[in-house]
Amino acid sequence: MAIFNLKKREIECKIVYYGPGRCGKTTNLEYIFKTYKKQITGEMVSVDTEGDRTLFFDFLPMGLGKIKGCDVRVQLYTVPGQVQYTSTRKLVLKGVDGVVFVSDSLEVRREKNMISLKDLQQNLKEYGSSIFKIPLVMQHNKRDLIKQGFPIMSIEQMEKDLNRQLKVPSFPASALNGEGVGETLKECLKLTLKSFKKEMNL
Amino acid sequence: MNILKKVKSLLQEAELYHKQGLLDEAKGKYNKAKELIQDDELLKDKQSLMDGIAKKMDLLEIDIEKVEQAEKRPEVAADVQDLIKRLYTFAADQDEDTIALDGAIALAKFGQYDSALAEFNELIKKESLRVVAAKNILRCHMAMSSVDEAFTQYEQWLSEDMFVPDQIDKLRMFFEGILEKEGIDRTLPAAKIQEEDDAHLLDIFEMDEQQTQETAAEGVDIDGFEFEEDEVESDEILDINSIRLTVESGPREGQTLELIVNFQSGNVISLLIPNRDKDLVDCFSVGDMIKNIECYSPIAIFNSSGLVSDVMQIKTGPRRGDYNLDIKVVDN
Ligand SMILES: Nc1nc2c(ncn2[C@@H]2O[C@H](COP(=O)(O)OP(=O)(O)OP(=O)(O)O)[C@@H](O)[C@H]2O)c(=O)[nH]1
Ligand SMILES: [Mg+2]
Repeated sequence: MAIFNLKKREIECKIVYYGPGRCGKTTNLEYIFKTYKKQITGEMVSVDTEGDRTLFFDFLPMGLGKIKGCDVRVQLYTVPGQVQYTSTRKLVLKGVDGVVFVSDSLEVRREKNMISLKDLQQNLKEYGSSIFKIPLVMQHNKRDLIKQGFPIMSIEQMEKDLNRQLKVPSFPASALNGEGVGETLKECLKLTLKSFKKEMNL
Repeated sequence: MNILKKVKSLLQEAELYHKQGLLDEAKGKYNKAKELIQDDELLKDKQSLMDGIAKKMDLLEIDIEKVEQAEKRPEVAADVQDLIKRLYTFAADQDEDTIALDGAIALAKFGQYDSALAEFNELIKKESLRVVAAKNILRCHMAMSSVDEAFTQYEQWLSEDMFVPDQIDKLRMFFEGILEKEGIDRTLPAAKIQEEDDAHLLDIFEMDEQQTQETAAEGVDIDGFEFEEDEVESDEILDINSIRLTVESGPREGQTLELIVNFQSGNVISLLIPNRDKDLVDCFSVGDMIKNIECYSPIAIFNSSGLVSDVMQIKTGPRRGDYNLDIKVVDN
């Protein structure tokens, strides 16, 4: 639901961070908020509940400056990952232009990653969109834990589980220290803006 | 790996998962560690190890409890509510009233029922939004599980002259629909004028059916929202008043019928079929794809297909014994 305001020469697009509970979506946004000060155009709003779990969403507005004379504004959102928030997740996804799917590298979360990806597919479908068509980037998060000897899946394993059919760009990351966070976002923005261009024949 | 090392690594994992809020996973690892210790015959100092784990598990249980007890839809601060309204109002180029309505609906969707109610109660003062605001007020009460409030509200509307009888009828039907869905068996009083009318001599079931059909056939119903978990967005598809289809199999195969749509939630339409038409109901089973459906909406007629998603006999309420047929309308 990108909003084009041709008179004001403005494009506004919505990027949603999706993924299972506790995989690090909010941590991604927090890092972006801390790091890309110049592009941040407002406060980050988090609506969360017990134990820092996202309840409704996180919201972070950004501005990318002018592209071809158009002011590009981006709104970043995260969904609540916990299973019981199905309807809120769907609500937050409404009007999405690009998706970052954050997966959890911890072995114990393998199945939850897959369930969440399926849930994304279903919700997009219900909005008349498709996981195969929407600009989508994957991020395999918490890679840092491998150094401390925790049971982490290999990237190959995760790609096989989640990205075999989709074949979208994917990034290893450690949102906690920022590794891979910028790359993930940039790629997603690139894909999203590219798909606008196609849509509008720019 | 010797057993102590294994236990230590399990405990480290459990600790990490606890810290990250992966509480079930943490519990699993603690239990695994306990098993290992228990099963080992040679291990010394078992009890103190077990005590140590029990302490950690107590702390974990406290957190599990907290998460379970956390309110699912708490009222949030006013500025967050404003943000919700701003972010989830999709009627940007519409008139002021529609935007206000959208904003209130967004609040309700996020479970901010008290604030939403306050806004709907303002909007109800506007003629053009009266019915839709009233419907949403009823929905909010129902979502808050205050059925009695909803009844009191409805009865209050009946006693006031805020609504014309026709509007009250719409509300009554709507409310009955919700009650039916919730399996609540309570009869709603109708608008006064009807009690004075000869119509009251009619069998109550008959009357109900007639009104259902009349009202469904008129007017656009800009329904707001549904609170069901797997909610279908209602603004993606036109309101359908009635459909025309040719029965493809069963006792009435080949017949072309025009059927009134009684309820609609997004792209799912519900048809109430009287008990006497059971042979018609028998022509449909869940999962059937109906190829050609002509859909009549107040502003357009369009063709589509439909997936039969539910066929069920109504167990309670004034339509007890009749059938409800749900069809998911899919684009051709
Ligand atoms: N070690 C490590 N921990 C991380 C990383 N990213 C997130 N975490 C931790 O994982 C936990 C959950 O992170 P959040 O960002 O709140 O997760 P979320 O996906 O927003 O979770 P929900 O809102 O419940 O869906 C927190 O304790 C974070 O510190 C990472 O890259 N490495
Ligand atoms: Mg979060």
